[in-house]
Amino acid sequence: MARALIRRLLFGVIAVAGVVVLAFLLEFVVPGDPAKAIAPRAQSPAVLASIRAQLHLNQPLIVQFADYFGSLLRGNLGTSYIQRQSVASLIGPRLLTTGVLALAGVVAEVVIGGTLGILATLYGRVRALVSAVNLTLLAIPIFVLGLLLLLVFGFQLAVAPVTGGAGPAQLVLPALTLGLIGAPWYAQIVADQMQDSLASSYVRTAVSKGLSDSYILRRHVLRNVLSPAITMIGLDLGSYLSGVVTVEVVFVWPGIGLLAVDSLHNLDRPIVMGTVIVGAIAVVFFNLVADVLRMFVDPRTGEEL
Amino acid sequence: MTPGQPEQAPALEITDLNVRYGPVHAVRDACLTVGAGQVVALIGETGSGKSSLALAAARLLPSSAAVTGQVAIAGRDVSALGGSAFRRVRASLLGCIAQDAMAALNPVVPVGRQVGELFAVHAGMSRPQAAEAAVAALAQVEIRHPAAVARLYPHQLSGGMRQRVMIAMAMALAPPLIVADEPTTALDVSTQAEILALIGELRARMRSGFLWITHDMGVVAELADWAAVMYAGRIVEQGPVDVIFDAPAHPYTEGLLATRRDLRSGAPGAPLFQIRGSPPGPAELPPGCPFAPRCPRATATCTEVDPPLEPAGSTGGHEAACHHPGTGADQKAGAKVAAAEAGAAEAGDHLGTAGTVTL
Repeated sequence: MARALIRRLLFGVIAVAGVVVLAFLLEFVVPGDPAKAIAPRAQSPAVLASIRAQLHLNQPLIVQFADYFGSLLRGNLGTSYIQRQSVASLIGPRLLTTGVLALAGVVAEVVIGGTLGILATLYGRVRALVSAVNLTLLAIPIFVLGLLLLLVFGFQLAVAPVTGGAGPAQLVLPALTLGLIGAPWYAQIVADQMQDSLASSYVRTAVSKGLSDSYILRRHVLRNVLSPAITMIGLDLGSYLSGVVTVEVVFVWPGIGLLAVDSLHNLDRPIVMGTVIVGAIAVVFFNLVADVLRMFVDPRTGEEL
Repeated sequence: MTPGQPEQAPALEITDLNVRYGPVHAVRDACLTVGAGQVVALIGETGSGKSSLALAAARLLPSSAAVTGQVAIAGRDVSALGGSAFRRVRASLLGCIAQDAMAALNPVVPVGRQVGELFAVHAGMSRPQAAEAAVAALAQVEIRHPAAVARLYPHQLSGGMRQRVMIAMAMALAPPLIVADEPTTALDVSTQAEILALIGELRARMRSGFLWITHDMGVVAELADWAAVMYAGRIVEQGPVDVIFDAPAHPYTEGLLATRRDLRSGAPGAPLFQIRGSPPGPAELPPGCPFAPRCPRATATCTEVDPPLEPAGSTGGHEAACHHPGTGADQKAGAKVAAAEAGAAEAGDHLGTAGTVTL
């Protein structure tokens, strides 16, 4: 098993390296001159040229990349063009803020989706309703749902804060947005798994042992449903994190996603690169975590991992 | 073979049991008794209704099945009990052993806990007490290192061990009735023999009655006291095992025995005996005897009137549903050889393993 983990880790490193190359190239496809972004009022070409020289932007792309990659290997993410601060020190605190939102969103989608899935399986009457809710949620783009919630709960009902920030009150709506967007997937997977599990031979055994329905659900069915749900969290992580970025922008949640988007506007390339790299590492890392977690829930996966 | 003592209520008494799945009449008017401590073999091919009958007796059929009739376990009419009332008593009344223990055990729960929850839920034991009782139950079914095995998951056990765990669960509360659905079919031959020997021992010790579904006439000859043969949803013949083997009255039973006789003593290369045709679908039963289209003795009456189950021969309890029951005279000699061979061969198989079994 340790071997399998190491192999996965190796693949993860390769994936991150690939992301670095790709992101670096994309940076230079984006039109715009960072020097102008740094000194928007500077008119003289000489000043702009000196800024470009200072940032080594006048060197060939391959040299710039080698410089960047070299310092990256030494653990240095570079310095922000605009804020004149190390990228690591900018990203660090934001990472925690994003982590809080991402975690709250995962909890929300698992709780909402799981509840919908369980209700749909156990109560035939609400099945159609749950399907309708699922379809509706699947059809709404995440930023539309975010704005809608903001409009209704923030402006109309005024029960949620509309100013950005990272407080507990500001957390509710973005987490709810993430939860609602992700919920249909979990609802589906939970409903499917539960149906399989309820029809399974081991549930019949449990019935033959005279165990109550609620006991069987808790001790025999839910554990079998949990494992694919956790796998889902792992698989879904990439697209989930892109959702987090969108939600951060909509709700002005000061996380790494908002930082990335702001920096993209400012052509602050080191920060954009830093956020992309950190995001890629996060995806690889949490996929591993999901695998390990699944192994604890479902002992059979230990062998196949 | 010890018949149940007269004052003891039979382990299972089924009266006029019918099972319907929509238009499909899977079990028709079945009456069957498993005496206390007796093993009753329920024989029949796939689709004959034997599993439906057994599952109906154990109340394990899905709610889509319509079940009518009476089921009494250890003298207690359980068909009158409501769902939750039955649930509370079911584990102490009957245990179930499934065919495929791999599927029948929860893959993500350690086997010790799966056994232990019986004690926790029904005997009111605390978790550690139940865990201890589970280890003891695993030791009862001759699992070595039961404490270590209790912590393992089903996929970490061998097929034989898994079946032993199933048996430990079925017998945990020493119920008067065990419903066993081809418990040895999925096992290899030597494991099969071990499991049969184990069940034989436990049965002698716990005096549980068995309703044993099987295709295997060797198992029937060795283990069963009584045999009931099902065809197209009906019990077409039942009686003491030696009578069934010696003097089958129903031509279908004769056919089943003949197929086995050919396997045991047929000349090499000679074609095996087979019952011609195939059983009718349960939704398109012919009028009259359902076996008539395949029956060598069928007459005009057979295609018109479905024969009732009536006493056959002189042996007590032997019944057959046939207009032209065999007297046993013509096939007696051959059948006896087959039965004796079956018993001897199976007993021989078990002698080797019985020696290694230690308690």
